[in-house]
Amino acid sequence: MINSVRQSVLAIANKHQQGYITPADFNLYAKQAQLDIFEDYFYRYNQWIVRQNQRASGSGYADILKNLEEVIDNFSEEKDLENVGNKYTLPSDYYLINKLIVKTNLLASGTTTSTTAVTLVKTGATFVTDGVVVGDQVCVIDDSVLYVANITVITEDTIITDSTHQWNSNSSNLVFAIYKSNKFKESERLSHTKATMLNASNITAPNITFPAYTQSGNTVDVFPVTLTNVGQIKTQYIRKPKDPNWTYQIVAGDPLYNIGDPSHQDLEIPLTDEPLIISKILKYVGISIREADVYKSAQDSEIKEQQKQG
Amino acid sequence: MAYLTGYQYYENGGSGQEDANWGSYQYTTLEDIVNNFMLMYVGNDKLVNNVERYNVIFHAKRAIQELNYDAMKETKIVELTVCDNLRIVLPSDFVNWVRISLYKDGTLFPLTENIQTNYAKSYLQDNDCRVLFDEDGDILTGTSFLDGDRLDGLSKTPYLGSGRMKGNLGYNIDGKWVFDYSVGTRFGLNTETANVNPTFKIDKKSGVVNFDSQMADQTVVIEYVSDGMESGSDVSVSVNKMFEEYIYAYIKYAILSSKFNVQDYVIRRAQKAKSALLRNARIRISNIHPGRLLMNLRSQNKWLK
Repeated sequence: MINSVRQSVLAIANKHQQGYITPADFNLYAKQAQLDIFEDYFYRYNQWIVRQNQRASGSGYADILKNLEEVIDNFSEEKDLENVGNKYTLPSDYYLINKLIVKTNLLASGTTTSTTAVTLVKTGATFVTDGVVVGDQVCVIDDSVLYVANITVITEDTIITDSTHQWNSNSSNLVFAIYKSNKFKESERLSHTKATMLNASNITAPNITFPAYTQSGNTVDVFPVTLTNVGQIKTQYIRKPKDPNWTYQIVAGDPLYNIGDPSHQDLEIPLTDEPLIISKILKYVGISIREADVYKSAQDSEIKEQQKQG
Repeated sequence: MAYLTGYQYYENGGSGQEDANWGSYQYTTLEDIVNNFMLMYVGNDKLVNNVERYNVIFHAKRAIQELNYDAMKETKIVELTVCDNLRIVLPSDFVNWVRISLYKDGTLFPLTENIQTNYAKSYLQDNDCRVLFDEDGDILTGTSFLDGDRLDGLSKTPYLGSGRMKGNLGYNIDGKWVFDYSVGTRFGLNTETANVNPTFKIDKKSGVVNFDSQMADQTVVIEYVSDGMESGSDVSVSVNKMFEEYIYAYIKYAILSSKFNVQDYVIRRAQKAKSALLRNARIRISNIHPGRLLMNLRSQNKWLK
């Protein structure tokens, strides 16, 4: 998609030799335009909810809300979070935390006595007696990096996991925790205004059945404060779109599109938004090359496109 | 809560406490109620939206508490022995009593509540009747005469045994009855308090039940209601399924009535639904069915002698 967008932008902007856009400039404009459209999805989503409640929205193919949900869900990710105590670090690319999941059924935890790339051993452990079975999840922290794996083989003191991990295969002191894979609760977001009172309340204080969290910058404080085990919290979040990167190689003095470049990054918005992103990029181009016609035309086109989409 | 297999229900899956799941099907858990409410009644296209889960938890718990106080008829029963101090500590989840009985010779004897007081805090006083304090300014206290007499069996209670003194107030000391002279005493029996069984009085602030001297070394059975909060363990909180729909209606009403800009007719509708569902649930839980009515009707022709 990114190449077709660039070709369209170049074709329109440079029609009368009004300006050439370098790949670096294009990538900047594309990033800005994509973010703009991405943010707009959420506002449009809200507008369509209002319309739906006014019974001004259809179902089936006319279900615009569902369509927007699908677009937003393209950016949905899940990640187990690293922690210090009950403070968990959020992913750096998150745009919106949709939910925080607490693994409530801790089966075993401790420090390994030896490891290989797929095996964790704790001498004297009683994994089987503790109820650990194949399919349960083990979380391991090594050098401040969290690894999560599924258990494929289990004995009383040894766990074999499903794939090779990057944890230190010779380490004897990796902190781990094992959870029942299907036992979890959703944690509720609290505003800081309410958090203190809620924690002090006899009847609504967060507990393992109804956990909660507050957010400060890139970390969340999870309540009850006893939720401190390795990998105990997982988040499902909407990430920001990745920065688009139209990669190229110079052939005969001209940049030629190179999709095979490892740093290549396509646009992530759906194909149906191509006209909109072209208009937005052209608007930035119009400002850049001080060409009022380009800017005006792009703006008109963008308004029309937005009106069409509602 | 997930459905259980027969093995899980009867034997708890062969591990843990065997009776853990017995009768569990009658109940729905607080967690289920909150989850179901958030799923089915809260949303962008629902009457209730933008509501935090802790709001729902709060109202669900309040509904369960209220139901436990009167509607649910789920009494807890504890058996204890009364020692020489003639008192027992109230159960940890006690909210109100239903019946307190003496268990003796295989029979439960319901005790009557002493409508007068049988305990008091005694302030220490000097010869001029001035109250005494310690160095911190706190009042010095001791055992009151009222408590002392009760412990010694020197409080008057009606004698309901046979013979000439039947109905007179007397003292039960170590199982023997002693009476004042009958000159100037009240004629007749105070039927309100006339009961041969021992009496009790609950000292709510102190969290104890005080008994009269006949209860020393006896076994007492307390039937009481709690608030269903299971000592703060949310995972154990549950409610009979007969009340499930009422609890949803209660939460909905409680949220709508405290939300800004909700039309009054919407609130009234929710209130009516709540009240109607409570009535329905009460009727259901009362177990009024033909078999039980028949039992009552069978006794209609019984001769009273």
